This record gives sequence, structure tokens and C-alpha cells, in this order.
Amino acid sequence: MTTFHFYSHLLPLPTTSPTSFKTLIPLNGIPKFVSSPRHSSPSSLLCSSSKNKPSPSGDNNPSDFCIIEGPETVRDFGQMQLQEIEDNIRSRRNRIFLLMEEVRRLRIQQRIKNVKVINENGNEEIDEMPDIPSSIPFLSYVTPKTMKQLYFTSLAFISGIIVFGGLIAPTLELKLGLGGTSYEDFIRNMHLPLQLSQVDPIVASFSGGVVGVISALMLIEANNVEQQEKKRCKYCHGNGYLACAKCSASGVCLNIDPISLSSASGQPLKVPTTQRCPNCSGSGKVMCPTCLCTGMMMASEHDPRIDPFD
Amino acid sequence: MAGVLFWVICPKENATALLSLIPRSVKQKRSRLCPTLKFSTGVSAFSSAVANPARSSEEKVYEVVLKQAALVKEQRQKKNLDLKRAAETDGMTDWDLLKEAYDRCGEVCAEYAKTFYLGTLLMTPERRRAVWAIYVWCRRTDELVDGPNASHITPRALDRWERRLDDLFEGRPYDMFDAALSDTVSKYPVDIQPFKDMIEGMRLDLRKSRYKNFDELYLYCYYVAGTVGLMSVPVMGIAPESKASTESVYNAALALGIANQLTNILRDVGEDARRGRIYLPEDELARAGLSDDDIFFGQVTDKWRNFMKDQIKRARMFFDEAEKGVTELNAASRWPVWASLMLYRQILDAIEANDYNNFTKRAYVGKAKKFASLPVAYGRALMGTSKLFDLSRT
Repeated sequence: MTTFHFYSHLLPLPTTSPTSFKTLIPLNGIPKFVSSPRHSSPSSLLCSSSKNKPSPSGDNNPSDFCIIEGPETVRDFGQMQLQEIEDNIRSRRNRIFLLMEEVRRLRIQQRIKNVKVINENGNEEIDEMPDIPSSIPFLSYVTPKTMKQLYFTSLAFISGIIVFGGLIAPTLELKLGLGGTSYEDFIRNMHLPLQLSQVDPIVASFSGGVVGVISALMLIEANNVEQQEKKRCKYCHGNGYLACAKCSASGVCLNIDPISLSSASGQPLKVPTTQRCPNCSGSGKVMCPTCLCTGMMMASEHDPRIDPFD
Repeated sequence: MAGVLFWVICPKENATALLSLIPRSVKQKRSRLCPTLKFSTGVSAFSSAVANPARSSEEKVYEVVLKQAALVKEQRQKKNLDLKRAAETDGMTDWDLLKEAYDRCGEVCAEYAKTFYLGTLLMTPERRRAVWAIYVWCRRTDELVDGPNASHITPRALDRWERRLDDLFEGRPYDMFDAALSDTVSKYPVDIQPFKDMIEGMRLDLRKSRYKNFDELYLYCYYVAGTVGLMSVPVMGIAPESKASTESVYNAALALGIANQLTNILRDVGEDARRGRIYLPEDELARAGLSDDDIFFGQVTDKWRNFMKDQIKRARMFFDEAEKGVTELNAASRWPVWASLMLYRQILDAIEANDYNNFTKRAYVGKAKKFASLPVAYGRALMGTSKLFDLSRT
């Protein structure tokens, strides 16, 4: 399947034609022409371009663009002035917004056409609501139905325990110590300090309840952390960036000038100067190529770059 | 490209059977070509193929193996004269960063290849880290064409990736994982050619989804798995008392890589078919009376069973080749290698146990069986090289 996407990059891109543009939206006074994409392939996302904004030559050509960073790519836009950079960012964000809206409308059409096909074959309900992941360790998804079940079972359990502890146990004179001994005998048999047997029942139940609640909360929290960690990109730990190796994440590199080192003797050695690291442009971080800076394990999940409004 | 990197590292086994596949006359010719290849660093091993068009993949691959062995001998002589590589880098080596990079390599390995990770725990700490660094690089390369961003990969991206590889081999790593591999490469005599061949394999995978005959499949298996065997031989180390030739050890490593990849392929037939890929030789399928549609349909028939029997037999043959050479390895590395060989071999047994249904069932070796193999592997690891039987581990 990767082969198809690969070749789509090489297809000649459709140029914008006046008859096919859908909207003419003036933004910041600069009209942007948005063409309706003829193929819904990734390459067409990059082909719709506006004619009136400043941009370095060649940056609209998608076959030039490469998702892997190299030591010299950070400088790709290095020739631009600050104002130019800001304009570029603004225009690209506008384009992204418009493209995402187009994709949303296309998907509506897609869904309509799909539903038509499904309805012809049989009744199939399309559940629009997202699944709510459960925070209880062994439950996978929560729906309103399972919520009701949960309420019911927990209420039943609580009332059952209360009835048991309050009514049944004292009535039956249940002694739950080992071998049917009472509390005091149990303490004595286990050779535990005797003051434990003098504990006030209210204090005992309160502490038992607190211990139970705290351990339950901790269990849920640990489980939650585990779930979130599973979603993180393992390479960059969710950061989206990796440490730059050239400057060891400091941002500055030593200026080693080979000529001056071998200069004539008699001149004092120059103190080594530092320069901004060319690899990462001084930031100390470089792009994580696995998650494309999203920090998520699968860059395709919930990443608008890959699948908007899915 | 499912299953490319779910292999378990198993470098260095003898591959005398592999040699037997090559006709004698060609073998003589190759040894004469060898000296010219020895000192042509940076020249692709396949450049000589231009002069000789009708050579099989096995011969081409063998040539790479010979070159690797020759380079190792060269490097052993040069090692004393080499200045410390860190002096060549124009950055500051930060040992904390390096340690963190290695730790992260371990985490990635533990996450994506659990059994392999457990196997690495049987190695010495330095080797373990080196193997992790190599694994992470290979995995990142594989994810370029097989991961979630695969649809955005262009040949230009792979070229850039290859340039990053060249830079890191020269001591100029780009990011922290490259730095870990760069450090590994400076400590062990690892050559760049297998890495480049792996990238070449990725390029191949972008274009191809069918293999006409076993020769093509063998080349693919070399690219994605044989190279890993060659990469890890210098890390595992050959036992100093071993009398076997370096070439034979490399051949064995190659055979083990091929065996692992074939096992992967046989295990994941259904999964690959669902992505529209068939990693089985088309001529052999035709000979068994099977077509691509039969595979996509996923029905286990007697024809399929017979076909699978032959494929499994061939994979086992490669494992046997690999087995012959584990004994030549460094004593400390034999146990993990044996363990991984045996575990991976058991996957073939599992396929048979599933009645050759690799369409819907995943051949799986249970934890109990995995643990049971460990002491057996330990026992086999205690046996020294075939020429020298040492009862105690050195």
C-alpha cells in the first residue's frame, strides 16, 4: 500500500484553474485561490497554492520537500527576513485551515455515499460518539449502558457489605479470625502487640476505609499513567524532539578552525570560541523522525497533519 | 513489509551449506576477485555485477560477506595506529547524553521486541548496549517505510537518511540515537556496508511487492535480515581460540539472518497478504499449483500444506547452517545467540502445530517453552569451538 502513496508524489500535480475554484476568500487583503482537489491523494494537498504571497522559489514543489531532517535542513528558510517568515507562517496556517475544512466537507460526502451503500446491504448503525476509555484497570470502554451497570453493581455491593457488617455478622456472631477465633484471640495468636485489640471500632473502620480509598485511587492513577505512556512516542518520550548530538543538546558548538591551529609558532593559541550549533540552530533539539514531532506513538492518531476530522 | 525487524539477533554461524550451493568453478573465480575488492572501500559490492550480469543473488551476497571478513582483518591491524575517534568530532562528547541515549535505546528495544530484549540481557553490558543501538537504528530505518509516516517517504528522504548514516560513521551524529550508534561503531569494528545495504533494501521494498523466484527473495532477505547478522558479528566477537575462518563465521551469521527472515515471512503470510504483499517466490507457488488469489483468499488446502512443508524445510536448512557456527563465537556471546536461534526455530514448529494455517493464526511460542529453551541453550553454549573443547567458560 505504501507504493501507491509513493507514486502519487510523482504524478503531475493539477494546477489551479479558474473554473474549479470553490471559494475566493480575502484574508488580510490578499485573495487566496483555493482549488477543489481533483484527486484526494496526499499530493493534491500540497498543490493548491495562492499566487500572491511571498515565498521562496521552489518551496511549493512537493517533490522537493523531505520529511527527514538532515544537518542542513534547518537552514532551509535561513535566507528569509523576520517579517517574511511571519508572513509565510500566517499564509501556511491559513492554507491549512482551508484545506482542513475542505477535507471535512469531502468526508461528509464520503460518509453519505458510504451510508447509502451500507443501507442497501442491511441496517448498520454508525455510532458517532467516541469511545470513552475507562479508568478502571480491567475495564476497556465505558458506554452509558455499562455506566448504569457499574452504578448498580457498586450500589448493590456497598449495601450488601453494610448489611453484612451491620446486621448479619453480629447476629451470627461471626468470628472471622483464623480458625473462628475472635479478634482478641486472633491478635494474641499472631503474637501481635496487644494494643491492637483495644482499637476503637469507629477508628478501625475509618482507617480501613481510608486505606481502601487511597489504594484504589493510586491503582487508578498508576493505570492511567500507563495508558498515557502507551500513547507516547517511545523514541522522544512524547517530547517530539530528540537531543541534538552535534552540540550535545547545549545549542553551541566549539569553533575549531584548523588553519589557526597550525599557524606559525610564536603567536599565542586562540581561545576556542563557540558558535551557534548549525545542526539544530541553537535550539539543542532536532526533529524526531518517527513521530514527526507529534510526540504520539502513532503519528496518524489524532494528528491533524495526517487525518483531520477523522 | 511486516516482520522485517521482528527478528532476534543471531550473528555468526557457519554456513558451509551455503558454500555448497555455489558451484565450485565460480568459487575459484571469486577468490581471485577478492584481493581487488578488499581495498575498495566505499565501492558498492555489487559494482562487479556489471561485468558479470548473470550472477545469482547468493553469489553477490557472498561477495559482500568476503569483503566484510577482509575488512575486519584490515581493521584489526589498523586498530593500534588509529587515534581515538572522539578527537575527530567537532562537537563536545557529553557522556551523560550518551548514557541516556543508550538507556533509551534499551527502552525502545524492550517496547518493540520483548523476547529479543530478554535475549540481550544475557549478554555482557557493553555488548548489550551496542546491540540496542544497532537495533534502534534498524528499527528507525524500517519505520521510515513501514511505519505510520510511510506514505510520505520519498527516495530523497532515504538519500538523506543515508547521508546521516555516512555522517554518523564519520563521528558526526545528528541526533541522540545516531550518537549511540556512532559510539558503538567507534568501539567495535562494524562496517558501513551492511547498513547501506539495509537502506537499499528499504528502497527495494518501496518498489516491489512480489518476488519472482527464490533468488530475488534471497536478496531481499539479505538486505533486511542478513545485513543485521553481518552488523552484529563484530559486536559479538569471534572466539580468539577459534580456528574457523572469519568468512565462515560471517556466512553463518548471514545464514541465521536469512533463516530468521524466512521464518518471519512464513509466520506472517496472512498479515502481509492483508496489506497486499506476498513474500513467497512466485515460481514455487506456481509449481505447487497456487496463485496469489489463493493466498489472499486464505484457505488452507493440501496444496498449501505441501508448499508450506517445503518452505519450512528450506528455512530449517538455513538454521542448520547457522547452528554450525555459533560455537566459533566469543564464549560470552554464545548463550544469547543459541537461545535466540532455538526460540526462533520453534516458531517453525508452531506453524506446523497450527496445521500450516498462517493466514488467520499467529504461530506463537509460549512463555513456558521459551524459558525451557534457556537452560538447553546454556548447555550448548558451554561447548567450545569444534577444535577446542573447553569445559569452563573463559
